[in-house]
Amino acid sequence: MLLGVWLGKLMAWLLRLTGRRATSLPGQLALRLTPRLLSQLGGQLRRCVIVTGTNGKTTTANLLAHMMEQAGPLVHNREGANLPQGLVTALLQYTSWLGRLRVSTALFEVDEATLPAVAACLPVKVAAVTNVFRDQLDRYGELDGALGKLLTGLRQTQAVLVLNADDPLAHFLGLRCGRPVVAYGMSRSCVQTHSHQQVRDGAFCLECGTRLTYDGFFYGQLGLYRCPACGFLRPHPDVLGVWQGDALEVEEAQLPRVRYHLPVRGLYNVYNALCAIACARVLGLNAEQIAAGLAQFQAPLGRMQAFTTRPPSVLHLVKNPAGCDSVLAAVQAEPGRKVVCAAIHDLAADGRDVSWLWDADFEQLASDPSVVSCVATGLRAEDMAVRWKYAGVARERIACHPDLAEGLALAFAAAAQQGATVHCLATYTALAPLADLLQRREQADASQPAYRPSVS
Amino acid sequence: MPRSLRIAHLYPDLLNLYADRGNIRTLVQRCRWRGLAVEVTAVPAGDVPRLHEYDLVLLGGGSDREQQLVGQTLRRYQAEWRAAVAAGLPLLAICGGYQLLGEYYELPSGERVPGLELLEMTTVAKSPRLIGNIAIASAKCGTIVGFENHGGRTYHRHPPLGRVLRGHGNNASDGTEGVRWLNVFGTYIHGPLLPKNPRLADQLLRTALRYAGLPDELEPLDDELELAAHAAFLERRLQLSTQQTEGSHSPGEERLPAGHPSRPT
Ligand SMILES: [Zn+2]
Repeated sequence: MLLGVWLGKLMAWLLRLTGRRATSLPGQLALRLTPRLLSQLGGQLRRCVIVTGTNGKTTTANLLAHMMEQAGPLVHNREGANLPQGLVTALLQYTSWLGRLRVSTALFEVDEATLPAVAACLPVKVAAVTNVFRDQLDRYGELDGALGKLLTGLRQTQAVLVLNADDPLAHFLGLRCGRPVVAYGMSRSCVQTHSHQQVRDGAFCLECGTRLTYDGFFYGQLGLYRCPACGFLRPHPDVLGVWQGDALEVEEAQLPRVRYHLPVRGLYNVYNALCAIACARVLGLNAEQIAAGLAQFQAPLGRMQAFTTRPPSVLHLVKNPAGCDSVLAAVQAEPGRKVVCAAIHDLAADGRDVSWLWDADFEQLASDPSVVSCVATGLRAEDMAVRWKYAGVARERIACHPDLAEGLALAFAAAAQQGATVHCLATYTALAPLADLLQRREQADASQPAYRPSVS
Repeated sequence: MPRSLRIAHLYPDLLNLYADRGNIRTLVQRCRWRGLAVEVTAVPAGDVPRLHEYDLVLLGGGSDREQQLVGQTLRRYQAEWRAAVAAGLPLLAICGGYQLLGEYYELPSGERVPGLELLEMTTVAKSPRLIGNIAIASAKCGTIVGFENHGGRTYHRHPPLGRVLRGHGNNASDGTEGVRWLNVFGTYIHGPLLPKNPRLADQLLRTALRYAGLPDELEPLDDELELAAHAAFLERRLQLSTQQTEGSHSPGEERLPAGHPSRPT
């Protein structure tokens, strides 16, 4: 075991020395030498909290980490490296050269497909499922497969499950796992009034196959659902959220409502905050610790990350239809004119199949006059451009270049001409290179006084 | 004014796993851009499909559970399906919908889930799943590109939709992909199928217009973006050049298989 620990730690040290991020490689190397390292290190923990699900894992886990750190030190795979090697890398940071873990609590974001392989290695006391949307079909087979993996993984734990009551698939998981459940959900008053075509995953009752009816939708499949045939229905949330702009009021049985200031934008992020708060309450944290944790949070890479370029730009991660629709809605809610620049890659981590572009509601861009131009870039730029054309975006508003730097240049040129903000949408592997390009542009713009707006 | 072209999308609430919505969207837009009237009926699960009211029917793919639900529903109207398809009803069936057209789908347990029996075709589930980018050469519309993701190996004696250039196709062994019989188009290709394959989309539209008794002349469209996406996919994803594939279907493939009814003139 020690050889694995040493080489892993050494590798992490070398990577940091050369200025690189050490999120997975040290763990990968250590695991190759000591395959059972995860359970050997994980076994030394007193308690472990797991955040899994399709969308919002990283944001939820980071919010929760800040809350938990108010109560003590924490092992956490902060950069979202959510495969076994990522978990081991995080654990190695707190492991002595003698193989002793110096911290007793861990918080891990875990990929759904990875959960069955790691659940039994860790003393999981709390497991949160943010939602179960379709995600990366070619990696997991089909949706039934993703649900099955979650079920298998969660059943291996002794955890209290923190589940999204508004998601029929997450609720179904709770019914099937036989573990105690704390459900969180949004108040009726937050139901969306507009009726875009909804993403229909899980729109059928998993118990009996009948179509679910909804009294209202929050977004995607999240809403006030019930099965007319068998009585499967959205449970009343134990932790209920009422969203009011930049604040979230949280209600628990018998307790007075608590109002929290939100460090995030957009309904999908409000769900992440609510999930983190529900976990924190299960872990026994109080309102002050939760509020202090929220206050320390900074939006991670690509979650509405703003850049002070000229024109200004915002970077968003998109990876599946539900996530993409939330991002598009958030972009449209921003004031002023927008240029949308979508960087679509299809490498293994993105999912090789880009058919999800057709399930996302790009039609809403076509009908929004504030979206003045759409630029497609990345390895699958042309697919994105075709999708926009068929969504009804006028041909002259569509531009396309597969090279990220060239595509971004087109977007900034259009935005400068039209007085617009550039909203970059990027799939997973396009995110870091795009952030890099935006940062460089930020620096270049700051050092060019000629373009600075006049002070008078 | 001529009547509109009537397209039915069967069970979009159940069978829409691979963005089949994109296929509908493509057909509808390509009609609208030419000033052709078109209406789409989404037939929800549980409704009786009134086949005589449609000029083109789309059947998509679903997860295994959903597909079984659809299979049970469809088999109740087997006689109607057989009559309609024999009379030339244009049908586009993708992935799970394609498998349902056959005699049965054999699960790994050996259990056989009966299909609609419209085609002399069987499918056997096997590991591993056949997943990846695919290009085929078809006689009538050149290369067809897309993505495939299926556990089933499908075998039949009908003419295929095309010959596999890259990828797996029907069964990863005989080099065929899909089926092209009467006015039935069946395939494992999604991604979705039609947006990047505008020639196939137009062939389908012409077939439907003819069946509807409407003029089947289609005005050419500006397909610059679509063909760019098609070419980029061939070159960047499959390392095939457009010229290579254009030359690859020999005149022999243009000939119809023996026993096939003569081509309509
Ligand atoms: Zn039910």
